[in-house]
Amino acid sequence: MKHWKAGTAALAVTIPLALAGCSGAGGTDESPAASSSDASAGLSGTVTYWHAYSEDSQEVATLEDVIIPAFEKANPGVTVDAVTVPYDELHQKLITAAAGEQLPDLVRADIGWVPELANLGVLEPLSTSMSDFQDYAEQVYPGALATNLWKGTYYGLPLDTNTRVMMYNADALAKAGVEVPTTIDELVADAPTLKAAGSYAFADNGASGWNVLPWIWSYGGSITDDDVTVASGHINSDASVAAVQMLVDMYQAGYIPSIIVGDSGGLATSDGLVSGDYATILDGPWMFPIYQSQYPDFELNTAQMPAGDGGSISVVGGEDIVMTSTSQNKEAAMAFLRYLLSEDAQLAMAKTGQMPVLSSLTDQLTAINDYFGPFVEQLATAKPRPVTPAWNEINTILQDQIQSAMRGDVSVKDALDSVATQADALLAQYS
Amino acid sequence: MTVTSQTPSAAVRAAAEGWRRASSSRARRTALAGWLFVLPGFAVYGLVMLYPAVQTVLLSLQDWTIVPGQESPWVGLANYAEALQDPVFLRSLVNAAAYTAFTVPLQVVIGLFLAVLLDGYLPGRVLFRVLFYLPVVSSWVVVSLLFRYIFASDDSLANSVVVNLLHLSGSNVAWFQQRWTAMLAIALLGTWKGIGWSMLIFLAALTAVPVELKEAAALDGAGAVRRFRYVSLPAIRSALSVVFILLFIGGFNVFISVQLMTGGGPSNATQVPLTYMYQQAFDFLDFSYGSAVSFILTGTVLALSALQYWWTRRREAL
Amino acid sequence: MRRTPRDRLLLALRYLFLGACAVVMVYPFAYMVSTSLKSRTYVLSDPTRLWPDEPTLDNYRQVLTAEHFPRYALNSALVAVASTMLIVLLSSMMAYAFSRLRFPGRRVLFALIVVGLTIPTMMLIIPQFLLARDLHLLNSLPGLVPFYVGTALAFNTFLLSGFFEQIPRELDEAMMIDGAGAWRRYWNLAMPLAKPALGTVVIFSFLGTWDEYAWAVTVLNDTDKRTLPIAIALFQGQHSTSWGLVFAASIIALVPVIAIYLTFQRYFVAGLTTGAVKS
Repeated sequence: MKHWKAGTAALAVTIPLALAGCSGAGGTDESPAASSSDASAGLSGTVTYWHAYSEDSQEVATLEDVIIPAFEKANPGVTVDAVTVPYDELHQKLITAAAGEQLPDLVRADIGWVPELANLGVLEPLSTSMSDFQDYAEQVYPGALATNLWKGTYYGLPLDTNTRVMMYNADALAKAGVEVPTTIDELVADAPTLKAAGSYAFADNGASGWNVLPWIWSYGGSITDDDVTVASGHINSDASVAAVQMLVDMYQAGYIPSIIVGDSGGLATSDGLVSGDYATILDGPWMFPIYQSQYPDFELNTAQMPAGDGGSISVVGGEDIVMTSTSQNKEAAMAFLRYLLSEDAQLAMAKTGQMPVLSSLTDQLTAINDYFGPFVEQLATAKPRPVTPAWNEINTILQDQIQSAMRGDVSVKDALDSVATQADALLAQYS
Repeated sequence: MTVTSQTPSAAVRAAAEGWRRASSSRARRTALAGWLFVLPGFAVYGLVMLYPAVQTVLLSLQDWTIVPGQESPWVGLANYAEALQDPVFLRSLVNAAAYTAFTVPLQVVIGLFLAVLLDGYLPGRVLFRVLFYLPVVSSWVVVSLLFRYIFASDDSLANSVVVNLLHLSGSNVAWFQQRWTAMLAIALLGTWKGIGWSMLIFLAALTAVPVELKEAAALDGAGAVRRFRYVSLPAIRSALSVVFILLFIGGFNVFISVQLMTGGGPSNATQVPLTYMYQQAFDFLDFSYGSAVSFILTGTVLALSALQYWWTRRREAL
Repeated sequence: MRRTPRDRLLLALRYLFLGACAVVMVYPFAYMVSTSLKSRTYVLSDPTRLWPDEPTLDNYRQVLTAEHFPRYALNSALVAVASTMLIVLLSSMMAYAFSRLRFPGRRVLFALIVVGLTIPTMMLIIPQFLLARDLHLLNSLPGLVPFYVGTALAFNTFLLSGFFEQIPRELDEAMMIDGAGAWRRYWNLAMPLAKPALGTVVIFSFLGTWDEYAWAVTVLNDTDKRTLPIAIALFQGQHSTSWGLVFAASIIALVPVIAIYLTFQRYFVAGLTTGAVKS
């Protein structure tokens, strides 16, 4: 199945390339597929593109003043209508529009939404309908690409990516006289010393997958099998239980503050790191501009996710670009999608803090923003959260059960057994 | 010709008939006017609210797949049966009931008190009217954030009151970590934001009290309490019951403050019906279950308000 | 009027109490103002320190000069004014009929209004979206109006019918004997007498439509059709929010709301009823 698809994709790639070579000789219909900007004669119409880029940063400005004009210049018949939607409402707006068949042509979707939208049947299966899909698939980071795979078909391509690395307060560590922890064991061993010096060893603002999966994976645990069909034997495996037990023990010993169990009145991780209340946190690249403007005097230091038996493995975040199956202008939309994944567009967005997904740009990243370095390194091993429409629900159950274990209502083993049972039932609905 | 053939008794009958016809035609005219008055508003209301509501009821009886073209099997009352056995939903109802029981009396009493103080002549009363109304117009996002700070787990305002002033607790309270302390913070926010709202309605209602009556009562030497009891209160009784019912319904439908302050957490401890409905429908895409949850809420609130309505207004005709 | 020492004491107590209440009620607003005067803040600071170290109007300048901001304010104003006018007219007509005119089906229709009070509108959003699509009201500013009016009618009709009932029936009957029809009794008697209540309806309706966000963000797409709450929400980012901008924009958005409030609270003047009856 997979081989067949790869084969046709490879075949399909060669045809447009051949056509592009003789595009002067009347390559009409096929020429749009011949990728990016130059061979685009005959494309016309409007491409509607919904996204939730931040209006306040340079993101929207770069999209509207740099990327879209460049694309429209190369494709004179095409107009791109970019719609900025507040991030918190984009999901609701997408679902409502899906029910009313009013979706735009392209959406910059949170990586977690792709399997859900694919399952609703509103996404174009790119790996079958995009002739040069395989080309793009090979150019992007595999961890980011994997977020688009649903039931053997890719429904999108990654657009930007990120991950969480360890951020630490060097003064807090120095005050306690401890080194920057490189392994989980070191962090655990340093925790009492840090507490004596007035700092929590680690802080996080919840116990959802985004928060706890780096620990579970780094311990060698997992949440489901590779095909995301079953959770039993994974989320409640010995390694997963040991990872969560470590977090529970740290919390109960007072080495992790109560915001991890949902105390929304507690000190935020970003503030606590600056004040030295928190020695380490895990967070993403967006924190750098925030710290720069909020706490210009604070030196934000990063290190890799502390390693365990499974290595140093963090969680992939970011957004994918998807095309809707109701799009009336798929050719033009496809052309814009390709352009968004071009080096030009990816580099332009990189300057605003969005990490590119093209592995070819890896070496240039630190020249654009030197803080990208540790994230690029971490991304080499980072994994996506399970790609399934059931993830939202499983994630909620996971957080509830881990928090119950932290409060001492239930043992870690029982909590994770319960997650496994409930997750199995949810996953079975989609198999 | 008919006149000549009429007997006197027939003439009397005709006159009586004419009267009846006149009054029945007046009744008909009134009925027609009633319909014409209601028609434009009700048409909009029926189209925009009732019609979608009926569709939502239908959704709650299916396993709805959202996207057209996919089959949505009918499941009867299965979603309702599930909801009534769902411990999280039942807890959310209890939370909303507690929220209502806390916020409604406070908003009514304080709102009424402020309205009475600001009703009579008082230099600067417009300023106070504006100041007390400010919470109503402030954005939920802003005030929810603020209340999270006020009830923060460390040395926050709320903790300094509880620990240092009232000595209710020996150490700082992590308000949002437990169900009832979190609900208390949410309820205090709701009360604080709602007082100006009920004050406004009471202010409008109090204008119906004739000044002469108040002055006459004052001349009779009636104290403030008695004046309020015998002059003002009867005039605003209807407004009082309206405010009561609206607040009651609003209390059970509490949503934004919970969503912004705790999101229903930790571990569903502060879930209220609408946050739970929102989670089921828009996060988990189970619209059918979300609809069932919201209609059980609607049914409950409706039954309770009907009871109240009947109770408070039983002496008056509608 | 002669003031006894006891009167003065009572007045002082009254001010003291009102002042204390005012502090509690205004505090969050003061916090909002102070944050809006801080330069770029992503993280909110200690709310007990109200006055910023280096106050600046930078956020206000940035908001007011933001692209299309006046346009968004105008959009919101047009929608809010049109909706408010329709809400006042339609809900007062319904409320008058429910409280003063006898017609078959009155109780059923009123019961349906009460049902509407209790239905959470969030749950109706998808059926409403499909309806708006079929009526070609998506992505249109005038298209917001029927939805704003329809969702506000239950509340305002219910509120007003409580007030209309308070108007003495004798006045109605006197006009009826003079041969006044239903419309004249509604327009010349009930409406002037219900001015304070109508003022409340205006204040609430304007606030509600001016602030409405969930529906607007769902149905509007075009940049130039955005309403103010959408523009303010866009200052909030996925990972970080410049609270100074959000608060400054929120305060600017309050100005028309307060203006409407100040204008219409003047109808809350005690003794209106007696004056009207005499004339």
